[in-house]
Amino acid sequence: MPERTQSLTAGKLSADDLAAALAPRSSSPTGKSLSVTGLRKSYGGTTVVDGVDMEIAAGEFVTFLGSSGSGKTTTLMMLAGFTEPDSGSIAVDGHDITRLNPGKRDFGFVFQQYLLFPHMTVAENVAFPLQLRGVDKAEIRRRVGETLEAAGLSKFAGRKPRELSGGQQQRVALCRVLVYRPPIVLMDEPLGALDKKLRDQMQTEIKSIQRELGLTVVYVTHDQEEALVLSDRIAIMKDGSIEQFDTPRGLFERPRTPFVADFLGAANFLTGKVEDGRGDDCTRVRLDTGGVLTARAHACVPGQSVRAAVRPGKLRLVSAEEGCCTGTVETAVYVGSLTRITVRLDGAAPGTPPLRIETALAPPRPGERVCVTADQDDVSVFDATDGG
Amino acid sequence: MAGTALAPAKVRVKTSEKRGHRSRIALVNAVPVTVFLLVLFVYPIIGVLSLSLEGDSGGFTLHWYADALSGVNLSVLLSTLRISAETALLSLLVGFVLAHAIARMRPVFAALAMLIVVVPHFISALVRTYGWIIMLGEHGILNTLATSLHAPGAPYSLLYNETGVVIGTTSVMLPYTVLVLQGVMRGVDGRLLAAAAGFGASRFTIFRRIYLPLVAPGIGTAGLLSFILCLGYYITPALMGGGKQTVVAALIDQQVMQQDQWNGAAAFGVILLLLTFAGLGVLGLAKLRRKKTAARRSSS
Repeated sequence: MPERTQSLTAGKLSADDLAAALAPRSSSPTGKSLSVTGLRKSYGGTTVVDGVDMEIAAGEFVTFLGSSGSGKTTTLMMLAGFTEPDSGSIAVDGHDITRLNPGKRDFGFVFQQYLLFPHMTVAENVAFPLQLRGVDKAEIRRRVGETLEAAGLSKFAGRKPRELSGGQQQRVALCRVLVYRPPIVLMDEPLGALDKKLRDQMQTEIKSIQRELGLTVVYVTHDQEEALVLSDRIAIMKDGSIEQFDTPRGLFERPRTPFVADFLGAANFLTGKVEDGRGDDCTRVRLDTGGVLTARAHACVPGQSVRAAVRPGKLRLVSAEEGCCTGTVETAVYVGSLTRITVRLDGAAPGTPPLRIETALAPPRPGERVCVTADQDDVSVFDATDGG
Repeated sequence: MAGTALAPAKVRVKTSEKRGHRSRIALVNAVPVTVFLLVLFVYPIIGVLSLSLEGDSGGFTLHWYADALSGVNLSVLLSTLRISAETALLSLLVGFVLAHAIARMRPVFAALAMLIVVVPHFISALVRTYGWIIMLGEHGILNTLATSLHAPGAPYSLLYNETGVVIGTTSVMLPYTVLVLQGVMRGVDGRLLAAAAGFGASRFTIFRRIYLPLVAPGIGTAGLLSFILCLGYYITPALMGGGKQTVVAALIDQQVMQQDQWNGAAAFGVILLLLTFAGLGVLGLAKLRRKKTAARRSSS
């Protein structure tokens, strides 16, 4: 184990060095923009990717986030060129590459399985893409040396991949891609096989290299935290299409679908009807359990059945306030910085889950009567017929 | 006091007794294998060895070996080695193409193709060899076809010469090479090849730099296997060589059956055995060298 810890710290110290060693001499960002229109793919009648559209700016870190079967990996494989789309197009800096071979796209790929060539040494693996590009021998030796040095892998240069730990192998895979400075790097759950501690550390490395080099990165993961730490923008995938493509903050604070609201973090859903007789303003929602929530502005019809979503941390306990929802505290669990409370609202239909509330204030006791409300900005409203 | 001192001693005796008992049982278990090996392998080999070193009137001699390694006998030995090498190369070549195709098929078709490759092996070698004779003879199917198409040089002499023997033995060895190669090829991770393509490698480069090195151990094993099997192969060379093309196995047969010359036959047998060991040694050495270079690289 001591060897591993040592290499861990070596990696931590060198993330910036690695970026510096790899940085092009000119200061312009190396990344390119990527635009995707109407990408579709089905396998034997099952639609796996159903119309993906997105614009990714040069130097942006974009993550496809979704559970397995959401089509995120298939989308990435189409970007990479390993899978041919049924329809739609992909363009890099305005040039169409939809039908181009993977090798001709000049992308970099990092996969969960590392895919290092087992019969080559670490140095040979890293040199491979450079050899393909006809870089002369002395230059290859210099760049491979620099890259491995910066990644803290110099002493493993002559080893075979199988003699390395998982984290070291993934770092080699990263070196092998970054050594030829591809403008766009695609990563498919590259940290999926690593333990939590190593994953956190590699995230920091990847992020700092990406930022330093101005690389465009398209990343696939099912790990929310990873997506939030790394990404400039996240595309949440469900059933083959993008539910919402937004910054982490946008996704959290202004979810556009119930699925997004519930998928990132958690949400309480309250059913109700939009209040009538207020003209175009339908921000006031009268809940089925009694009480009124004021929601953010949204397109709706007065009288429409809706579901209001509020995050556990955004529900407030008040003594008594106009329109607040009364209920009884069921449980209160102290989890360190805050207390998790569940509240059963008066008049809640049997079978509906209790409200989940997180509060940092002095928590009530189980059995205590409380009244719950939320700020207008923290309430999202969806059509009741929307799934999620 | 005496009791406490005695108690652990007793326990110790018991456990050591138990251990002794267990190892005795293990020995008993090993008896059948040991006897089997002694009777069926060690005894005959020692018998053959002593036969090959025994003079006509008893006593130690090396002249059977001198005979075997001189004159006509030596040239037969050399041509056996040559035929075996040619067979190994040819069956590797054909086997590689076949195995590569099979490894890329869908499992159902791959199983079917393997069956087609292996099933002929269940048919008696004699029948198969006569099949080849019908195919390759001067008025055989192949030559009739070639003549009717006015192919230059037709009819070819494909039988009763070294060409005929190599064709025959290759067909016998092919299932082995295909089986070995196909196993190795199935083990190659297709994603590695895709990854190489992703870096911009051409198909030829992928084949040369990734695929071939990954299946290389299989090529070595398959080649050596068919070489060794071919060294002692008898029926096909005897029939398809037409008596003109003698191999060591045929020579042994001749000595035993026609000349009642067991000592000379034994010497040939030992020589074949040594050649087989030499082949295995070469393979082992190659493996060792690969390991050593890897170790040297990692230490530098």
